[in-house]
Amino acid sequence: MIKSKLEKILLKVQKPGKYVGGELNAVIKNKDEVDVRFAFCFPDTYEIGMSHLGMKILYSLFNSKPYIWCERVFAPWIDMEEQMVKNDIPLYALESMDPISEFDFIGFTLQYELSYTNVLNMLKLGNVPLKSSERTELKNIVVAGGPCACNPEPIADIVDIFFIGDGEEVDLEVIELFRECKKSGKSKEEFLYLASQIKGVYVPALYDVTYNEDGTIKSFTSKREGVPEKIEKRVMMDMDKSYYPDNFVVPNVEIVHDRAVEEIFRGCIRGCRFCQAGFLYRPVREKSVDCINEQCHALCRNTGYDEISLSSLSSSDYTQIVPLLEKLSEWSVDENVSLSLPSLRVDGFSEDILSKIKSVRKSGLTFAPEAGTQRLRDVINKNVKEDELLDTCLVAFDGGYSTVKLYFMIGLPTETLDDVKGIAELGQKVVNTFYKAENRPKGKGVRVTLSSSSFVPKPFTPFQWEPQDSIETIHTKQAHIRENLTTKKISYNYHDADTSFMEAVFARGDRKLNEVLIKACEKGMHFDGWSDCFSLKKWLEVFDECGIDPHFYANRRRSFDEILPWDHIDYSVTKEFLINECKKAYENETTPHCREKCSNCGAMKHKGGVCFEKRSCMV
Amino acid sequence: MKNVRVWFKKDDECRYISHLDLNRVMIRAIQKSRLPVWRTEGFNVHPYITFSLPLSLGFRGERESMDMRILDDKLKLDVIKVELNKCLPHGLEVFDVTEPKIKSGAINSAKFKMRLSTDDISVEELYSKFQEILSSDEILVDKKTKKGIKKIDIKEYFKDAKHYDTDHDIVVRVTLPAGSTTNINPTLLVNALQEKYAIEVYYDITRVDVFDTEGRPFE
Repeated sequence: MIKSKLEKILLKVQKPGKYVGGELNAVIKNKDEVDVRFAFCFPDTYEIGMSHLGMKILYSLFNSKPYIWCERVFAPWIDMEEQMVKNDIPLYALESMDPISEFDFIGFTLQYELSYTNVLNMLKLGNVPLKSSERTELKNIVVAGGPCACNPEPIADIVDIFFIGDGEEVDLEVIELFRECKKSGKSKEEFLYLASQIKGVYVPALYDVTYNEDGTIKSFTSKREGVPEKIEKRVMMDMDKSYYPDNFVVPNVEIVHDRAVEEIFRGCIRGCRFCQAGFLYRPVREKSVDCINEQCHALCRNTGYDEISLSSLSSSDYTQIVPLLEKLSEWSVDENVSLSLPSLRVDGFSEDILSKIKSVRKSGLTFAPEAGTQRLRDVINKNVKEDELLDTCLVAFDGGYSTVKLYFMIGLPTETLDDVKGIAELGQKVVNTFYKAENRPKGKGVRVTLSSSSFVPKPFTPFQWEPQDSIETIHTKQAHIRENLTTKKISYNYHDADTSFMEAVFARGDRKLNEVLIKACEKGMHFDGWSDCFSLKKWLEVFDECGIDPHFYANRRRSFDEILPWDHIDYSVTKEFLINECKKAYENETTPHCREKCSNCGAMKHKGGVCFEKRSCMV
Repeated sequence: MKNVRVWFKKDDECRYISHLDLNRVMIRAIQKSRLPVWRTEGFNVHPYITFSLPLSLGFRGERESMDMRILDDKLKLDVIKVELNKCLPHGLEVFDVTEPKIKSGAINSAKFKMRLSTDDISVEELYSKFQEILSSDEILVDKKTKKGIKKIDIKEYFKDAKHYDTDHDIVVRVTLPAGSTTNINPTLLVNALQEKYAIEVYYDITRVDVFDTEGRPFE
């Protein structure tokens, strides 16, 4: 049915190959032979969603169970959405082409706050009622996981179940529970209650929130006995034994990251104070060299990809990085497979590593000092020194590079205009370094690109209480960088402050924002992560209509004793630790990384990972 | 080392992928198949493949071809077919592998089968409009060229077209110039129909075969 309607519209949209499925390794099952059908939805385009590792892991994991059929769903781009609405085609899954309203589970991965409008819009396109309370039967269970699930409250009215932490085990436990409940004819209400008993499951409908007069939270309590007060995250402690696919769906059309991806470890030892991922995924857990090697080889053989990316939050922090690259090159060279290592730190960039990575193209290098002065880098605990950065650039220039990209954030806590000016100055120092490099590429000028994004305070970081700079202040700071540039060898670009503002609102929002999202969805808002669609003016209108002040969420300093909307979620990192880190930031004081010294963040309770590695200073 | 010509069909899901995407899909299939294919020796090493004639996105292709070089002279051509088919997505199927007999540059024309339909008027009406446009003095359409949009008359190209109508569509068979010098895309006629009669015409076009300057099937 959908297929014949699709034929009429596919040639009217851009890249129709995104909407037809049929890719190599896509899993097709007989729907009558499975007990549970799961629509795995990525609330963004095919090109972005198909690049996402978490989706690949869970898609293969679910489909490895004979009784589950997991299919993929992506947000249709604007042109396709228009055609689907016009031709009465509901949002469908790519494997069976069945509408998502026929699925037992509709699962979303929440990667960034500005995709929330797409979550709602996809439900709308699938003719699925938006609110959990409007879906009364034991079907179309809307579940969500991913980093933004750490503050589930802004979409708590929409989602039935949130998965907190690593999904590999908890998702299957909930699916299995659903299967039993469906067989025994239980109600959705009973199913949700039973699910709330599983560690790592948050069912927002089972809790009540009350507010103070000033709009802050007064109390957060469970409605029913036996429902946990705190929801603890799930963690896969043994990464070698944790499920990893030996096969990816290989897209027919080009996607953003069109290569094999191997996760080499989860978590990050660094503790940069602005970085949410650095706290959510503690403790650091590595895979062994042998495990990575086997998984990489299988992936390349099964997909036909000739490039593999070794993925993690900070790849050069992998303890066995050089032995790993050596092991991989035993077969990768013969099989014409190249290796790439994203997320390299300035201090982890060695010639040894460089010589083994072919695909670090000679064209450009990217580093993220994040702040322009040492004082501010200490505040954010980005333990990178200026001379380390310049030394690394020198190595790179001597090695034939002539282009360097530097990423910064502006609007960081305690930041002054001098810190901002430091960004321009650091750019100049990199330019000067180029001319100090004796083996620099001859006949070529140096190009330094400075790029700044605006700081967004996030839950579960030491800066979760901080106000975000106003849009006007950000604009002033952006202008200040531009004014301090004196050479054309440096170019400067920046992220739009308007989108960062909206991101800050939803990152630390509470349940009152559900109304805002629903209204935004009624107005047809979608793809707010895309400049094609985002409009601050529209958003301010929606907030105005709902009588909600967005600045309350983004620009207000919160006190340490305020009940935060996400206080009932437990990511193992204690509030005391975060408060202590915040206070240290104000004193320009750094915290050593996990391998130097344990700072007692709370992640040790998982009894594994980096917390129990032998530290070099102890050996 | 020997040159081989891989013959394949492009249909179903894969009719919706562009020529560039097809190139990527084929390279990955070759990589996965582990066939001994000659690779370029530049900075970005990849299997060296060339397509005889690109196919427009959305068209089905019944006799498409791609050339590559095999390092092992003793490798049976049938093995290439079997191994590649194991590695291709649904919608791409290799049906033969041969030694190339004609150079790609000699391609001169291609034969298409078009199915046209509309929701705006009945099939009979569409068919009479179709016949009307074919018998008009000239069929002027906009053709995109490298220098910009050009008005051309396509009447001449469609004068030998064979056509009939069915219960739900019109079937047209036509041979059009194709190759390195002149290319006439059959959708130009679709555009002319849509513009002249202000109707929306759906098309399902298959490239059936490709010929050289002497009208011989491309081999």
